[in-house]
Amino acid sequence: MKAMHDNFFTADITRIDRAEALRYLAYGGSSPDERILSFMDKCEKKLLKAVKGKFTFRCFDISDISDNRVILENCSLIMTGKDICSHLEGCAKAVLMCATIGNDVDRLLREEQVSDMAAAVITDAMASCAVEKVCDAAEDTIRNEYPNMFMTWRFSAGYGDLPIDIQKQFLEVTNAGRAIGLFANESSILIPRKSVTAVIGLSDMPIEKKRRGCAVCNLRESCLFRKKGRRCTDE
Amino acid sequence: MNKKERFYKLLNDNKFVFLDGGLGTMLQKSGLKTGEVPELMNLEHPEIVAGIHKAYAKAGSQIIYANTFGANSYKMAETGKTVEELISAAIRIAKGAVGEDVLIALDIGPVGQLLEPTGTLKFEEAYDYFKEEILAGKDADLIAIETMTDLYEMKAALLAAKENSDLPVVCTMTFEQNLRTFTGCSVGAMALTLEGLGADAIGVNCSLGPREFEPIIEELAKWTKLPIVAKPNAGLPNPVTNEYDVTPEEFAESAANLVKHGIKLTGGCCGTDPDYIRALIARLSKMEYVPNTPKSVTAVCSAERVVVIDQPRIIGERINPTGKKLFKEALRKGDIDYIMGQAIEQSHAGAEILDVNVGLPEIDEKAMMVRTVKALQGITDLPLQIDSTIPEVLEAALRVYNGKPIVNSVNGESGSLKKILPIVKKYGAAVVGLTLDEDGIPKTTEKRFEIAERIMNSAIEMGIPREDIFIDCLTLTASAEQENVMKTVEAVHRVKTELGLKTVLGVSNISFGLPNRELINCNFLQMCLVNGLDLPIMNPNVASMTGAVRAYRLLTNIDVNSVDFIKAYGAEKTPPTPLPKLPEGANHDLMYAVSNGLKSEGAKITEELLETTDSMQIVDDILIPALDKIGDDFEKGKIFLPQLIMSAGVAQAAFEVIRSHMVKNNSAPVVKGKVVLATVKGDIHDIGKNIVKVLLENYGYEVIDLGRDVDYQAVVDAAIEHKVKLVGLSALMTTTLGSMEKTIQLLRENRVDCKVVVGGAVLTPEYAESIGADFYAKDAKETVDVAKRIYG
Repeated sequence: MKAMHDNFFTADITRIDRAEALRYLAYGGSSPDERILSFMDKCEKKLLKAVKGKFTFRCFDISDISDNRVILENCSLIMTGKDICSHLEGCAKAVLMCATIGNDVDRLLREEQVSDMAAAVITDAMASCAVEKVCDAAEDTIRNEYPNMFMTWRFSAGYGDLPIDIQKQFLEVTNAGRAIGLFANESSILIPRKSVTAVIGLSDMPIEKKRRGCAVCNLRESCLFRKKGRRCTDE
Repeated sequence: MNKKERFYKLLNDNKFVFLDGGLGTMLQKSGLKTGEVPELMNLEHPEIVAGIHKAYAKAGSQIIYANTFGANSYKMAETGKTVEELISAAIRIAKGAVGEDVLIALDIGPVGQLLEPTGTLKFEEAYDYFKEEILAGKDADLIAIETMTDLYEMKAALLAAKENSDLPVVCTMTFEQNLRTFTGCSVGAMALTLEGLGADAIGVNCSLGPREFEPIIEELAKWTKLPIVAKPNAGLPNPVTNEYDVTPEEFAESAANLVKHGIKLTGGCCGTDPDYIRALIARLSKMEYVPNTPKSVTAVCSAERVVVIDQPRIIGERINPTGKKLFKEALRKGDIDYIMGQAIEQSHAGAEILDVNVGLPEIDEKAMMVRTVKALQGITDLPLQIDSTIPEVLEAALRVYNGKPIVNSVNGESGSLKKILPIVKKYGAAVVGLTLDEDGIPKTTEKRFEIAERIMNSAIEMGIPREDIFIDCLTLTASAEQENVMKTVEAVHRVKTELGLKTVLGVSNISFGLPNRELINCNFLQMCLVNGLDLPIMNPNVASMTGAVRAYRLLTNIDVNSVDFIKAYGAEKTPPTPLPKLPEGANHDLMYAVSNGLKSEGAKITEELLETTDSMQIVDDILIPALDKIGDDFEKGKIFLPQLIMSAGVAQAAFEVIRSHMVKNNSAPVVKGKVVLATVKGDIHDIGKNIVKVLLENYGYEVIDLGRDVDYQAVVDAAIEHKVKLVGLSALMTTTLGSMEKTIQLLRENRVDCKVVVGGAVLTPEYAESIGADFYAKDAKETVDVAKRIYG
């Protein structure tokens, strides 16, 4: 039996995808003026200094998917709901992954909210991009680790009907606290703030692509498009 | 000899002390599933736990950690078992498993939630969790607090141990290879803080193998006189297979390399088993224990930054209401952001320590001090100097301070010495001693020197290390007592050279009542530096003052190769982004500055306008229309959030100018109405709320900002105290909408006569109505519209 340890990877984030950050800021197709762009450069520089990308994951055999719940081999976490069942349908294994860009970003955001709100808003959006990049790096590592298997996309607690309050136990079974310093508070909010947990299914057979909608987007809680009743995919 | 004395004997003997190895990983080998609670084994399979303890004792461990690592009531909530049950069983099992000669440690790990300011667990709540464990573990022989990554949490646990038990305490934290913990705590900060708080031994455990431990232990040895603990993992795990890469023999060999850095207590952590301990003991038995003998250093710290006082260090004086109307007003309003702004400005200007004084007769200084210290810790890594005349305020601040601060101050009066020094000792702070006593400030150098000596002797007698005693020889104003100026300078010199203590001095007072104060201050500062001043308390925002300190460091060869000086002044100035040409007409200019996000220009234009225009006219005729237009453009999708906020920022800067102009002229700024804002309990997303705040202030509303993760009752209290007609609540998660509802309920139950507006991404107008809110606002602009409807 494998023991559970402090295993983690680091992901170097060297730049922020500008187009994606602008999308998070609800720019849609419009492009910002020179002032905003050079302001964004400044924000990016500071942010990149604070970002410390880290991720960890654990792979479990799936022992049963039925009755709207997923049971993993030798693991106390039980995931419930029809959406996670459908996500992992046909998969032999489930990888539980956790990613974060660390504490220093939280501090930077706090400081900017006092000294410059505009910088805070832009940095916040860029930080969301950064943690997505760490997730991408985690996915690459997982792919390399299981080269003969097919992967689903990343499904997170709180998506669809997978309860968000499994967060605490999710972090427990992945040992994310010790491995990458990631915790949840009593409202199941991940701390540090810019962090993600997700489930990726691994299958021996190709996986049918399902459309990813707002219900399964990490930004659904703070999306500026949704606030205006639109979707980022509309534009 | 009782067990406690036996532990101290082990510490004092000239030999290594051997601890046990991994417990969690051993339990997993015995069948514990991933995610299952190890502490439940104490009740369900005591024989397995006992077996592991026995095996370690047989291997030679002299101290066994009981199976209590996660046995706090937060983590154990779902087990249905009490902390008392689980811990007393664990201690009983351990005692039964090993002989009388082996000591049992109550093992205390992290709570499992991040503390404020990053997380939402309060320092006081963490303390309570630990207290419960410590009381339950009273039958242990010592307490071992381990695997901490947050110095603040470690402090809560150590304080709980010291205040609720007389058992010895061993503290270890978990570092990464960059010599920092996950939360950014440095090795030096850990040592300074924990030694001050009275730990018996400190060190490092988990995360890395013994080879990777070496640089961390080497660093630690520079900072502490305490016995050093090393409890490494069985090497680094392979991240995919989860298996460790170091054999027992390699483990022992690498651990042997730590001996030269002074390790005293050693064992293993994750992945190690009795074979590792056996190999470790066999290897180290061939070696001599080498006690660590570091040079003594004078230093203070936050969790992230250590400031060594081996050269003049600037203490920023601006967080102090004395003689500052705006600061006093901010204190009365509880406007914490104003104080935070002062901290950030000083930090950017070159302050290395911040003095914090929030004393005002009409406010609750203790509560304000605690709030300020906690908030400052969230936004700056500069160490703090806690400044108050009231012992209770000092103690409350020292309690919640994360690091080793300075206490400002004690003086030569016996009452002051008796009240303040025990607090300084208990919390391990450094202390400023003022050379005055019952008879006031002495005129002569000699008398001030005598008081300094008296303070020093009392402090040393109290157990405060000599290097932590700083003396302030007191600046007198040159305009009133010109003949005594040099007495201060001479006293600084004598305290420094004859007593060998560090010196502090508030510099700015020297010029009170004189013209061109900056010139006097700057020259006085230089005279004092040359005569041995270590810690000038001054305004770092005045370039010539900070410059004088930097120049002194350069000229005295402290700033070797002028590195810091060149960093401060030598950088090529980046050309400012060329401004779009301003159209004619001043009124128009301000509007232009607002719509183009030109903050400093906006403030400057406002200042100019105030010379000719009434302040309310500027607000009503220029700022508000400009904001309306921006808000309109935002709604129509012509501009986007960053521009909206930049414009709001310009308006805010303009309002600041207007407000300080009015306060200076003793006319009260017009407030259209007060609004309480809060991000609800459990939620930490506060950007949205802060955007609302900026916009409301722009439109002339006074915002009582309660921050994030706000208790229900705090909202009710603030609404009543400030008699507001509008409360704004924000929640960003589905899991915290419940808190929003409870807050509204409590407002209604208390019959608070106010309307409630709610916002946040997951809210809908229907949901807002269902939880009893009066208004739903989809963004900051709409919140302003709601405020307008209520206050007009």
